[in-house]
Amino acid sequence: MRGISTVLVTVSPEASRQMRPPRALHPVPFKVGNAFGRPSMRELQTRVLRDALGLLTGPPRPGEIVDREYPEYGAP
Amino acid sequence: MTQIARRCIPFTPFEGELAKASVALVTAAGVHRRDQPAFNIADELGDLTFRTIGGDAATADLMVTHHHYDHADADRDLNVVFPLDALRDLARDGVIGAVAPEHVGFMGYTMQLRRMYEETAPEIAARVNQESRPDVVVLSGG
Repeated sequence: MRGISTVLVTVSPEASRQMRPPRALHPVPFKVGNAFGRPSMRELQTRVLRDALGLLTGPPRPGEIVDREYPEYGAP
Repeated sequence: MTQIARRCIPFTPFEGELAKASVALVTAAGVHRRDQPAFNIADELGDLTFRTIGGDAATADLMVTHHHYDHADADRDLNVVFPLDALRDLARDGVIGAVAPEHVGFMGYTMQLRRMYEETAPEIAARVNQESRPDVVVLSGG
């Protein structure tokens, strides 16, 4: 069975790192419960999702968790 | 079933174009349809079951049952943990090819890690592979 290309979005990067994800985005400084952003911030949610999907077409970084900052999220 | 060595990173290269790819969401944030049985948060060991969610589901018909993270924000706007509407926006804008016809929600908290790893995870993978076979899965927690 061939696998399915997968990308993880995590707000718990240390825990996620132990599981060796194939690709992972850590949106900074998002808190647990806000993996894709805050309520009613659709543009931010969409951008996080789009950035996560972007890891599929970028240079392969198996096991690496990519930190990306989103200042519009505000303080956690 | 193929066994993946614990030391391996389960990496499947993405081949093709994102603009033609179908994308499925798999979330550990405890998301399910309101008409489905809620995850059993009374079970101290955690609930190892999962729920399937149609790609055409209205987010208003979905909810979170989870007792190990503060999901107040998700209760207001499910897209903060299960961005189905955002995914639809990306499909509408041609960033992705399609929203997959089926998505998966489970409750990621468990005291039965081995069973989650050896049973639930392969069951979810098999379901995703057999039912909608998306080109891409976006996996997330709460």
